Amino acid sequence: MTARPALTAGGGPSQVFDDLRVLDLSRWVAGEFCTKTFADFGADVIKIEKPGEGSLTRHRGPYPGDTHNPEASALFLHLNTNKRSVSLDFSTTIGRQLLLELAAKADLVVESFRPGTLECHGIGPRALHEANPRAVIVRISAFGQTGRYRDHEATGLVLQAMGGPLNATGAADRPPHRKPGMLDHCTIGRMAAEAALGGLFSARRSGRGSVIDVSGMEALLAGADRRASYLLTAAYAGMNAPRGVRSPHRGAATFTGSFRCRDGHVMLYVANQVFWNRLVDLVAAGDDGFRTRFRDRFSFDSPEEQRAFRDRVEDWFATRSKHDVMAHGQAAGIPLTAFLDVGEVADSEHFRGRGYFIKADHPAVGELEYLGAPWRMRSGWRLRRTAPLLGEDTADVLAELNTPLAPAEAPGGAEPV
Amino acid sequence: MTGAPLDGVRIVDLTVVWSGPGATTLLGDLGAEVIRVEDPRRTSRGVSARTADREVGGREYATRSYPERDPGKRPYDRSPIFNWHARNKLSVSMSLGTPQGHADFLRLIEKSDVFIENNTKGVLAKLGIDYDTLSAVNPRLIVVRMPALGLDGPMSDYRGYGPNFNALVGIQAMDGYADGDPTIAGENYHMDEASPAGAAFAVLAALWERERTGRGQLVEFAQAENVMHEIGEYFLDHQMNDRVPAPAGNRDPLVLQDVLPTAGPDVWVALSIRHDADWRALEGVVGAADWLSEGRTGELRTRNADRLLEHLADFTARYGVDELVDLFQSAGIPAGEVMSEARVLADPHLADREWFQTRSHPTVGTYPYPGHPWRTDGFELRWGRPVPGFGEDNAYVYKDVLGCTDAEYDQRVAQGLVSDEQIV
Repeated sequence: MTARPALTAGGGPSQVFDDLRVLDLSRWVAGEFCTKTFADFGADVIKIEKPGEGSLTRHRGPYPGDTHNPEASALFLHLNTNKRSVSLDFSTTIGRQLLLELAAKADLVVESFRPGTLECHGIGPRALHEANPRAVIVRISAFGQTGRYRDHEATGLVLQAMGGPLNATGAADRPPHRKPGMLDHCTIGRMAAEAALGGLFSARRSGRGSVIDVSGMEALLAGADRRASYLLTAAYAGMNAPRGVRSPHRGAATFTGSFRCRDGHVMLYVANQVFWNRLVDLVAAGDDGFRTRFRDRFSFDSPEEQRAFRDRVEDWFATRSKHDVMAHGQAAGIPLTAFLDVGEVADSEHFRGRGYFIKADHPAVGELEYLGAPWRMRSGWRLRRTAPLLGEDTADVLAELNTPLAPAEAPGGAEPV
Repeated sequence: MTGAPLDGVRIVDLTVVWSGPGATTLLGDLGAEVIRVEDPRRTSRGVSARTADREVGGREYATRSYPERDPGKRPYDRSPIFNWHARNKLSVSMSLGTPQGHADFLRLIEKSDVFIENNTKGVLAKLGIDYDTLSAVNPRLIVVRMPALGLDGPMSDYRGYGPNFNALVGIQAMDGYADGDPTIAGENYHMDEASPAGAAFAVLAALWERERTGRGQLVEFAQAENVMHEIGEYFLDHQMNDRVPAPAGNRDPLVLQDVLPTAGPDVWVALSIRHDADWRALEGVVGAADWLSEGRTGELRTRNADRLLEHLADFTARYGVDELVDLFQSAGIPAGEVMSEARVLADPHLADREWFQTRSHPTVGTYPYPGHPWRTDGFELRWGRPVPGFGEDNAYVYKDVLGCTDAEYDQRVAQGLVSDEQIV
C-alpha cells in the first residue's frame, strides 16, 4: 500500500467546514450520505468501523468484476470520500472509552443503529453529552426514536411505501412502483445533514448540543416529494392521489411521459398551453390541418382524437434520434430531454465541460473519476482523498487523541482496537 | 430552550414552483425570517382567481384540491401545491419590473442576509438584479441561485421539469418496471426532492463561511449536479465494469422484494427479505409450503425470485394489509403498507409522535398539516402560521423593515404597486 497524504495536514485552500470534526458511527447509506456532505466540504469525518467487517456499504457493491471486496465497493467508495476510518469495537470496555474520548473532541456525532442500540453499549446521548455537552447528536432510524413503529424493520422499499407517494405510482393495472437505486436513503441522509448543520448553528450560539431524531418515514413524508402536497390535499378535500395518472396536480392540460426514439427515449413534459402549442407546431411540420385542429386546445374531445394526436407525436419521435428530438424540442422551447445513461452523462459535453468529474487514485481500485461539486461556493467542495481502507487511520487518530488508553504501537496503522 | 438556530437571519425568497420553495421552508423551520417577494400581476403560486373560476365544478383532482373543494375568492391562499411549503413564510407584494418596485427590492436586499431563487437562468439579469448589482448594495449578502443545469455550459438554457432533468443525469434511465422500457413509472420528480435539503444546506454552509470571513458570496446550486450524487455508485460501476443500470422495478439484486397484493382492492404491501434470517422468519409466518425450500439461501432467492414472489403474492393476497404487516413485523421481517394519504393522516404511530400539526388561517380554515422532517430536544423549530395570505405582510415589510412612512406606503397602495390581492 502506498502512503497517502494525511487528510488534516495543511496545504490546499481552506474549506468551509475545516473547523469541524464529525464522528460517523453510521453503516448504511443515509448516515454515510449525511457525513459525506460534511467531509466533502472540509470536515474531519472519522468513521468508526467494526474491526474485520466495516461498514455495511462495503459489502453491497457493485465491485470490479463482481467479486466481493470490502475495499472496492462502488457504493462505499462513493459515499466515503474524504473520510478517515478507525477500526474500533465499542462493545469492549476500552473501545467504549476510546469512543467517548473521540466524542469529547467531536462537534457532531451521526449514528443510524436501531433505536436503543447505543444505549445498550453505554454510549447513548446521555453518555455522549457527559463527555461533550456541545455535541450535536444526529440519530437516523426508520421510524424515529419513539412511537409504536420504533422497533419495526424497514428497507428503502418499505419506507417509500409508508413515507413516499408510492400509492400514486405505477400503471393502473400493475403494482405501485418505487423510485430506483438508493434515492430514498439519500433523501433521508440529506435531511439529516441539513438537521445536523442546523444543530451546529444552535450549538455555536448557545454552547449547548442537541439530540436530533430523524425518522426516515417522516423525512419522506415532509419532503418535497409529491407526498406532502398530496397529504395536504387529503386534509383539505378528502381526496387520495389517484394511481396511474401522472402528476394529477397539474390537471388536464398536461401531455407528459416517455417516448421512444430511434435509439432510446425522451421525456416530454408539456404542462401548459404555451408548451402545448409549441409541441403542436413541432410535430405538425407543415400539416396545417393538424396544426389548426390541435392548437389552443386544453383537452381531447374523444379517445380517438387523443389516439390520433399521440400517434403523430410517437411517429415524429420514433423516426429520429433522441439527441435530434431533444435539440428540436429545446430549440422550440419545449421541456423535452433525452434519457441519458450514466455513461452518456459522463461523456456529455455539458457536465464534462463544467469540470464536474474529478480523477483520483485509490489503493484498492486505482484511478477512477468521481462526481464533483454538488454545488459551487467559495471554500467549497474538494476531493482531498478517496475513501479510506478499513482501519486505515486507526493509528493516526489514536495518536492524535494522545490517550494512555490507546495501544502504544499500532503496526501498519490498521490494527483494530 | 435556546431559540431557533437562524433567529435574526433574513432571507429574501424569489423561488417558484417546487424545489426552491422547499428549501426556504426548511430555513424557516430553523427560525429564519423568509420573505416571499410576490408580484401581484404574476401567478407565483401556480393558481389565480381567473384559472380557479374556470376550474369550479371540474372533475379533475387539481380543481378539487382546495379546502372543502372550494377555491373561494382567494384561491392563491388555498392551494395545496403552494401551501405544503408555505409554513412560517412572509408574503410581500412587490413589482420588480417597476422602478419603485426595483428600488424597494434593493432596499430589502440591503437589510437581508440571503437571497435565493430558482428561476430560469436569465431572469435575474432581465430584472436588473444580478449578483454584481446585489453585492454592491450589500457585500455580506449570500446569493443562492438554483439553475437546473448550472449558470454555464451547452445545456444550461435547457427547459424542463424534474423528470426532464432526471432524464439528463441518468436517473430516469433506471426507472421503470423490470421487464419494460425505462419510463417514469413512479411519481419520480426526484431532482425536486433532492434540491430543498441540499440548497438549505448550501445556504447554511455559506452562512457558516460568512461567520469566518464576514463576506457574502454567490452560490451556484446546479440542481442536476446535486442530485447526481444520489446515484454516484453507478458512475463508478460504469468505469469498473463498463455497464449501466437498467430499470429494476421494485426488485433489488441482493434483497428479495416487491410490492404485493393484499385482500383489499388496490391495497398493497411492500415486503423485503434481506437475508437468511428473514427467510427463516418467513417460513415461520407462512407455515408448511413446498416452495419454501426454494429460497433458503441468497443464491436460491436470486435464481428463483420470480417464482418465489408469485408464491408470496398468493399468500399475501389472502390477508388484509394490517394483518400482513403485523404477521411480518412480529417476525422481524421488513413490511409496510403502501399507504394512501387517508391512512397516513390516521396513522397511530404518527399520532404517537404528534407529527401532524393542526393550524388555522382566516382564508383557509383549520386543518392538519405535514410536520417537520425531523425533530430535536436541543433547540426550537418554528411551525407557526401555516400560510401567508397574499401580501399579508406588506405593512410589516414596507414600514418596519424598509422604514417607509405611512404616507409612502399609502402612495404605493394607491398606485397599485402594493396589494394584498393577486390581480391576475
